[in-house]
Parts: sequence; C-alpha cells; structure tokens
Amino acid sequence: MNKRTIGIFFVLLLTICLKAEAQGVKSVRINEVMITNETNFLDDYGLHSAWIELYNSSFASVNVESCFLTNDKNNPRMYPIPKEDIQTEIPPRQHLLFWADGLPSRGTFHLSFKLDPTKENWIGLYDANGITLIDEVTIPAGTLLADQSYAREDDGSLNWVVKGQDNQHYVTPSSNNMTKDSNSKIESFKVHDGSGFLMAIMAMIIVFSCLLLLATSFKIIGKIAIWINKKNQIKSKGISNKNEQKETDLGNTPGEIYAAIGMALHEYQDNVHDIEDTVLTINKVKRNYSPWSSKIYTLTETPRKH
Amino acid sequence: MGEFLLNNLSDFWTLTGFANASASGLIMILVGILFIYLAIRHGFEPMLLIPIGFGILIGNIPFDTNAGLEIGVYEEGSVLNILYQGVRQGWYPPLIFLGIGAMTDFSALISNPKLILVGAAAQFGIFGAYMVALLLGFEPNQAAGIAIIGGADGPTAIFLSSKLSPNLLGAIAVCAYSYMAMVPLIQPPIMRLLTTKKEKLIRMKPARAVSQTEKIIFPIIGLLLTCFVVPSALPLLGMLFLGNLLKESGATRRLADTAKGPLIDSITILLGMTVGASTQASEFISWSTIFIFFLGLVAFCIATMSGVLFVKFFNIFLSKDNKINPLIGNAGVSAVPMSARISQNVGLEYDPTNYLLMHAMGPNVAGVIGSAVAAGVLLGFLS
Repeated sequence: MNKRTIGIFFVLLLTICLKAEAQGVKSVRINEVMITNETNFLDDYGLHSAWIELYNSSFASVNVESCFLTNDKNNPRMYPIPKEDIQTEIPPRQHLLFWADGLPSRGTFHLSFKLDPTKENWIGLYDANGITLIDEVTIPAGTLLADQSYAREDDGSLNWVVKGQDNQHYVTPSSNNMTKDSNSKIESFKVHDGSGFLMAIMAMIIVFSCLLLLATSFKIIGKIAIWINKKNQIKSKGISNKNEQKETDLGNTPGEIYAAIGMALHEYQDNVHDIEDTVLTINKVKRNYSPWSSKIYTLTETPRKH
Repeated sequence: MGEFLLNNLSDFWTLTGFANASASGLIMILVGILFIYLAIRHGFEPMLLIPIGFGILIGNIPFDTNAGLEIGVYEEGSVLNILYQGVRQGWYPPLIFLGIGAMTDFSALISNPKLILVGAAAQFGIFGAYMVALLLGFEPNQAAGIAIIGGADGPTAIFLSSKLSPNLLGAIAVCAYSYMAMVPLIQPPIMRLLTTKKEKLIRMKPARAVSQTEKIIFPIIGLLLTCFVVPSALPLLGMLFLGNLLKESGATRRLADTAKGPLIDSITILLGMTVGASTQASEFISWSTIFIFFLGLVAFCIATMSGVLFVKFFNIFLSKDNKINPLIGNAGVSAVPMSARISQNVGLEYDPTNYLLMHAMGPNVAGVIGSAVAAGVLLGFLS
C-alpha cells in the first residue's frame, strides 16, 4: 500500500467519524439572533427582550441540557442550560428560543447575560464539558436596527442575512427561517425531467453499478475460493503433476456432483436401511429408565416373613 | 321505561354496521371475499391473500366514525391503528426482509455472479412504470411509489410508498401483492413471445459448489458494497443481509430459525391484515386506485420483458458454453421463488430434461437486492 492509498483511507475514516458525530448535540446551531426587541416576540412574562434561537439540524431529538450559552469568549460557562427540564429537548429539525434578558431566575430559557446593541456581539454555544465549542456567531456592531434579526438564510445553512427590514425578509422566532411550501427535489424533477426519462437513466446506472460491483467482487472472491479449494485438494490427494491437476479440474466441481452424492447417501440411509430399528449415531442417547441405573436393584431387600 | 329502552336501542342501531353500510363498502367486502376465494380455491399466494382478504373485510365493516369508538384503522390509538403503524412507519418490511434473508440461499448467485446483472436489468420495470405514471399525471413522488410495484416485492413497495406517497399506500400494497399472486399468469406469455425455440433450449453450465466461507462473506460484502452506494436502502438491505448471515454463519441457528419461522410468519399476518384493513372504501375506491392497478400491470410486464431481453443481449457477448437461457430473465423480479419456478416450468415445456430452477434462483435473489437498491435510489432522489 503506498502513501497515497493510506492517506485516502485515513481521510475516509475521518469523514466517517465526523459524520457519526453529527447526529448528537453537535448538530445544534445558533440559528437566529435579535438584539433589540421593541415590538417583536413577547416572552412568557409579556416583555420584549433580546433572543437567541437554536436549531437542531439533525433528524433525531437532541437535548441541550448542561450545554453552555455565553457571550464572553473568556467565560464559556456563563449560562449552563439547566438539567431535568424536558423542554430543553429539541425535536428533529426544530427550534428552541432563549431570552437574553439577564434574568436567569425567570426560568430555564432566560439567560444570565444581555446583548449590547452598541457593540459587536459574539455568542457561543459550548458542549457540556465547557470546552468544546459547538457553534458561534459574531454580529458586527451596528448591523441590526430595532426589531431586526441576524439569521441564517435557511435553517442551519452557512449564509447569514439580516431579517426584518421588509415584508420579504421577516423575522422568524421559533420558526423556520425559510418557509417551504413544496419539496424542492420533487419540484426540480417536475421542471427538468417531466417525462421521467432522466430519472430512469440515472437510477438504472446506479442500480447497475451497484450490482455490477457486487458481481465483480464475487467473481474475484469465487476465483480465490476455487484456487484455495484446488490447493487443498492437491495437498490432500498428493497430486504433483501439473497436467494431472488440469485434467482433474480440481476446485471447480459442479454442485450437481455434490447433490448426486448427497442424494445417494440419503437413498442409502433412508431407503435401503429403513426397516432396522437401530441407528448408529454419535449423538448421546438418553434413556429415562434403565435396570442398570435403577435404585431398586441397589437396595437391600427387606426380609420377608414366611 | 319503555321510552328509555327504545331510545337506547335506537342509539345502538345507529352504531351498527347495517345503519352505516354503503355501496362502496360492500364492494370492498366482496373484493375481500374474492381474495380469500382465490387464495383457498385456486392457491394464489394464500399466505398473503388470506390475511389481506380478511383484512379488507375487517377494514370495511361499516361503523359510525363520529362515535369515537377508536376501532378504525385510521383512528389514532385504536388497536388496528397501532398494528397499522408497522406499515405506516415502514418497520414491518425490514422485519420481513430479515426473514427472507434467513430463508434465502444465495449460492446460485455466488457461483455465477454475472446473473446478478439480470436482477439489475429487470428493475427497468420500475422506471418504465415511473415514466408511464408521470404521463398519467401523477406527481414524481407518487409515480415512484406506484412504479416500485414493478420490483415485484411487496415489503419494498410498502416501505417506499410509506415514505414517498403515504396517501396511496393501501392501493399500492394491495396491488403489489395481488400481482405477485398473478405472476404465473402474467410472465409466461411474455417469456414465450420474446424467445426463440433455440433460445428456450439453451442448457446452462451447472453451477459450481460454493464454499461455506463464500456464503458467510456474501452478506458482509453485499451489505458494505450496496449500502455504501445507496445508504437509503439500508433498512431493507441491512436486515436482508443480517438474516442471511444468521443463516450462513452456522453459529446462530436458533436466531435464523426464529427469523425465518415465527418472526416472519407473525409479521406476515400483521402486515397482510393491516394492509387489507387500510383499504377502507372511503380511502380506497378512487380513479387513482384504478390507475395504480393498471400501472402495476405495466410495471410487471416491462420488468419481465427487460429481464428476458437483457439476457438475449448479454448472450451476444458470452461464449457458446456460457450462454444463459433467456427463460430465466423473468426471474430478475424479486418474487422469490415464484418467478424462478415459472422459469423452470416454462423451460420444462420445451425440454423436459432442462432444469432451470437453480439457475433462475440467481437472478431471482439478485432481484430482491436490485429492487431494494432501486427503492433506495428513488428515496434518495425524491424524499
């Protein structure tokens, strides 16, 4: 194996490991942030406060309990998300809203810090160990006016935009950043492949490739199996002459021959010898009673009176 | 007192089936009885058609849906609804595949791997039917759910339609199983029509004996290769190959026996009954159901044709000793082992000493893998 092959192997391994991690709390994203809330969403106390929206980008529920939200890079453990509150579990592809009002005594979702509209705001989400940064966002100073939010264009996407400046770009607390009224894949197929011909071509290529891969693999494995079988037979039969090896076609015996041998043995055992009541066997024969093991023969008989 | 009695009896009458009967419901009951009749009298896939037929009776007993009795298959929390979740959420099909894996001997395929390609070719039935379904005006996801009937694989059809077109699930499932029962009627005429006398008489080279090690390697390599290409087929192929490994390892005989015996039997009963019950007349009797039955037939015919024609094409590249009898091309659909039996029977009509059964088992089990891969492809593209 050369260095390139080893490199590719480790890259693939790393990719698989990274993918495996993506289904846990690491799939949670900071999705939308509002710093100055004047007339927008109300909290459970009827107040307008800044808010931070988290989004679970995975297809499994994720509990963010014990994770940390902070706006200070030097203090990753600023607000520990409380344990044992069932509401901290985010369902697949759903959202969770935290109020940055500096009033943690008001409940699980009220953070211990506030956001400052006059400065650059950095927000970080840390894993329960307080070391591993799961996600972060920096909102430059002066980016947002009142009731505007800094949000990912689509839930979990990499592109951040300002929302709330017009009716086309509305703020979406606890909701999808982009409203979808259809399945984009299906729509795409309807537009580009109305007849289904391209789908048929693509799908048949994939099905064929997949099964061709399987066929090729088993062609090779079969050849190796025949070669090993041949070697074993040469060894057991003690054949050294190469011509003799070719003539006997070792290792490539058709299954029919084994079937014929199997049938002959079956006939011999079941048809020819079907009247005997004894069978030669290596299985342990268990009998419940035998005079040889019976206690009654080992006991001393009580003397009888005459 | 008399008034009280009359009122209660009158209320009870409104709950009875007689008070709620409808013509469409009665038609469905007759369809259920027809299924049971075909299964018992003519032996059409009785293990499938009896639970489905009886399920149709269960699902179409009329009752007052506004009474909140929680008895209907579509009423959340009812016993039937809980059992139906196995279909709706798609977890019966992988369990069926576990049993199929534990029953299937892949040696015919391992000994002659090129036959796997016949199983791939027959999947064109699915995509051909997909094109026809689009022509008839179905949405791509609905067309995919319907077209998978062409794979001749009930569990796969249920799995895919539960994901892509749940509103058509009942019709697709009943259609898939009905046509599977009718494979002996659909396939032979196409096979006879597309092959010459000379081709029908081709004798294939006997398959070599396959070692136990190869049989053990097969499910492991099979899973890795197919699911790395199409991970969306993982629930079906994962369970299929697990079942096969339980069988071939020789170390888990009890598990294999359970998978291929009590487990698959239990799931078959539940699957058949709930699929039947899901055909409530109000949901089932529609133009789309008629189109689905038409498309199912189209899919089966295209699948059979493509399998047979592919073998004829493939033979051009094969040496004289390695030619494949095109009569096994039909077995590329995954109706195991019925399609293989049809190859055998049609082959014997032309040469009573030419046994094609074991050769046909190769493409037949490849068809199981192929249809699961095709379902995975459609799921990947359209979900």
